[in-house]
Amino acid sequence: MQPHLKRAFTLLALVIIAFILVRSLVVPGSFGQYGWYRGDSVNELRNLTVNYAESTSCGGENCHKIIYDVWVKDRHKTVNCETCHGPAEKHVLNPRETLTPANDTREYCGKCHFKQIARPELFPQIDPDTHGQDLRCVYCHNPHKPWFV
Amino acid sequence: MMLENLIWGYVYPNESEIQWSILIVLYPYITGLVAGAFIASSLYHVFGKNEIKPVARFALLTALSFLLVAMMPLLVHLGRPERGIEIMFTPHVTSAMSGFGYIFSFYLTIVVLEIWLSFREDIVKKALSSHGWKELLYSSLALFSFDISEKTLHDDEKFAKKLAIIGIPSAAFLHGYVGFIFGGIKANPWWSTPLMPIIFLMSAIVSGIALLILLYIVAMKIRKHAIDHKCLQSLAHYLWIFLILDVTLELLEIISMKYASREDIDIINRLLSDKIGFTFWGVQLTLGILIPFILLLMVSLIKKRDTLKMIMISISCIFVVIGVFAMRWNVVIGGQEISKSLSGTLTYVPVFFSQEGVLPAIIIFILPFIILRVVTSILPPWKDMEEETQKLN
Amino acid sequence: MDISRREFTKVGCRIIIGATAGTTIVESLITNGIAADNSPDQSGYDWEKHFWGFVVDTRKCIGCGRCANACKLENKVPFDEEVYRTWIERYRVKKTSLETREEEVVIDSPNGGIDGFVDDIPAEELKKSYHVPKLCNHCDNAPCVQVCPVGATYETKDGVVLVDFQYCIGCRYCIQGCPYGARYFNTEKGTADKCTWCYHRITKGLLPACVQACPTGARKFGDMMDKNSEVNKIIDEERINLLKPDLGTKPKVFYIGLDREVK
Repeated sequence: MQPHLKRAFTLLALVIIAFILVRSLVVPGSFGQYGWYRGDSVNELRNLTVNYAESTSCGGENCHKIIYDVWVKDRHKTVNCETCHGPAEKHVLNPRETLTPANDTREYCGKCHFKQIARPELFPQIDPDTHGQDLRCVYCHNPHKPWFV
Repeated sequence: MMLENLIWGYVYPNESEIQWSILIVLYPYITGLVAGAFIASSLYHVFGKNEIKPVARFALLTALSFLLVAMMPLLVHLGRPERGIEIMFTPHVTSAMSGFGYIFSFYLTIVVLEIWLSFREDIVKKALSSHGWKELLYSSLALFSFDISEKTLHDDEKFAKKLAIIGIPSAAFLHGYVGFIFGGIKANPWWSTPLMPIIFLMSAIVSGIALLILLYIVAMKIRKHAIDHKCLQSLAHYLWIFLILDVTLELLEIISMKYASREDIDIINRLLSDKIGFTFWGVQLTLGILIPFILLLMVSLIKKRDTLKMIMISISCIFVVIGVFAMRWNVVIGGQEISKSLSGTLTYVPVFFSQEGVLPAIIIFILPFIILRVVTSILPPWKDMEEETQKLN
Repeated sequence: MDISRREFTKVGCRIIIGATAGTTIVESLITNGIAADNSPDQSGYDWEKHFWGFVVDTRKCIGCGRCANACKLENKVPFDEEVYRTWIERYRVKKTSLETREEEVVIDSPNGGIDGFVDDIPAEELKKSYHVPKLCNHCDNAPCVQVCPVGATYETKDGVVLVDFQYCIGCRYCIQGCPYGARYFNTEKGTADKCTWCYHRITKGLLPACVQACPTGARKFGDMMDKNSEVNKIIDEERINLLKPDLGTKPKVFYIGLDREVK
C-alpha cells in the first residue's frame, strides 16, 4: 500500500480505537446488566419518594382507629382516606406534619355526586339545583358514613 | 386560550404541543441535499458521465459542507444535547434512529476520503510550492506524503472510484434510513408507509441536484466565468428524470392511501385538504414538481438559446429546492398535526426566537454555505469547472 | 494496483482485532468492579416473581378525576402544564338523524379530567355517553422501547415500561412512537416521561396512586403471576378488550366495557 493511504488508514484506525477507549470509559457500568439499558436506573426509579400512604396506615391503634372503623364498614369504604384528605405519607412518618383539612365544599362532593349524563346511571347522584339548596353536603351527610343524616 | 383555536376535534391531552419542530424539518432536508449532491458527483466518478466532470469535485465539497452541519439541527433539538453522544456509545439496534451516528460517521469518512483522493494532487502541489503556515496546512492535509507520480495518481483515482461505488449505497442508505425514521412509526398513519424511505431518497436526489446546479451557476457568476451549458443541461436532464420518479412515488403513496381508505382516511383527508392543503398541493406538488417538470421538459425540447435554458433551469431549481423543503415540512409537521387518536388535528405555530425556533434553523441553514466558501478557498475546485469551459469556447 | 486485496484485508483485520482487544480489556477492568447480582432488589422484592397487569372497568368510571389528580401529586407532574401520566376521556355519541346516518362522537378531556367535566350537550341529543380512563399500557411489545435510540426506556422483568431520566437524550422519538399519547416531554428534566404504574409504590407492596385514589374501583391493579389476583380473575372471566389491538403492541391495560368509538 502506498504510504499516503497507509497513513490515512492508520489515522482512521487511531480515531476508531480512541472512540472505543472513550466509549468503554464513559458507558455506565450497569448498562446491559439486565438488557439494553442502565441496570441502576431500575433501583433509582424504585427509590422515588412515596406520597400516598394508603388507608391501612391511618387506622392504627393510637391513630385514627375510631373514624377508620366507622369508614371501613360503610359505603364510602371504596373511597380511600387520601382521596379527600390528600397525600399523607409525610404525616404517617411524622404525625407533627399535619395535613390540611379535607376539602368539604359542595363542589368537592359534587366531583362525584353531581348529576352528569356520562356517569353510570346507578351511581348515586343529585341535581345540585334542586337538592340541598346551597348548603354544604357535610351539613347533612357524614362523609365517613354517608347515609347518616 | 389561543390553543383552543389551534386544535380541532379531540387530541390526546399530551399532544397539545408539537414535539418535532422546524429543526427536524431541516434535518432530513440537509441530509437530502448531501445525498443528492454526492449522487450527482458519482454520476461522473462511477458512471463515467464525462459531461458532469466540471462539477464533480465541487459536488463533493458541497456534500461535505452540508454533511458537517447535518447533525446540528438534531443536536440543538435534543432535550439533553450533552447526552447526544450516547447514540454512538449505546446504540439501541431496534431503533431506526440509533444508526444515525454510525451511518453518519461512515459516510463522512467516505466523503472525506473521496475528497482527499481527488484533491491530493492539488494539495501536494500546494504544499510543495507554498511557505509558512500554508505549507504546514497543506502538508498536514497531505499527511506529509508527497508522492504524486503518474502511477500513484492513477491508483488513487481507481481507489476513489471504489469509494464512490461504496458511497452510492451509503448515500442512499443515509437518506433512506432518514425516511425509515418516519416510515417505521406505526402509530402515525401519515408516516407509516414502506414507501417513505424511497420517497425520501428520490426527493433527496432531486433537491441535491437542484442545489448543485444553483451553486454552480452562482459560483460561475461570482467568478465571472462562462457556464458549461453542456454540463448544466445534462444535470437538468438527470433532475428531470429523478423528478418523475419522485412524483410517481409521492402520488402512489397518496393514491393508495385514498384507495385503501382505512380507518385513518378521514383524518388524512382533513390533513390534505385543510392543514397542509396549500403546502402539499400548492408548494410540494405544483410549484416543486409540476412547474419544474414542464420547464425542464421545454429545456430538453428547445434547441440552442442557452441563456434562456439557463434561466429556465435556474427557475426550476429554485422551485425544486423550495418544493422539497415543503415536502419535508409536510411529512414532519403534517404528521404531527394529526392526533394519534385519529379524531383531531393540531396546528404548529413556529416560534422565531427559541432553542427550537426559526432563528436557529436559519443560522444552521446558512452555515453550510459559509463552510463551502471556506472549503473551496482551501481546496479550489474551479480548475476543472473553468478549464472545460475554456476548451468549449 | 499497489494495494493488494490481501494487504487491505490484513490491515482491516488488524484494526478489528486491535479494537476488539482494546474494548474487552478496558471493559473487563471496569465491569470487574460490579457484583454479579441478578436482581436490582435490595429489600426482598424479586422482580422475577411478579408480572403486573392493570384493569380498567369503564362502566364504573364516574369521571371525578381523582386518579389524574393523585397521579400528579404522587409523581410531581406539574399541574400548570398540559402533561398527564393518566387522564380521563369522555365520549358522547350524538343521536343520528335517519336521513344522514352520520354518527357524531364528541370526545373531550379538559385538563385531563382533573377538574371534572361539564354537561354542555343536553341529554336529549345524546345516544350514549361514558368515561374512559387512560394511562400508559405498558405494552409487552412496546413501540416506545423499540424506537428509543439509546436504551433509555425499557420493560422491566416484572412487566413495567420505565424511562431512565439519567440516560434519556430527549429526542422525543418515543413520544412519536407511542400510539396512545401516553408519553410527554418533561421540560424540567429535558427528557421523555410517562406513567410508571408507580413503580416506586408497587415494588413496596402499595397500589399505584391512581388505583388507590379511585373511589369506584374502576381501576384495578394486580399481579398476573398470582393466580388468585383480582386482575387475573377479571381477565379470565370478563369480556375484555385492548386499545388499538391491531397495532400488535400487546398492552397490559385491559378494558372492560370498551365501546367501538374509543380511540
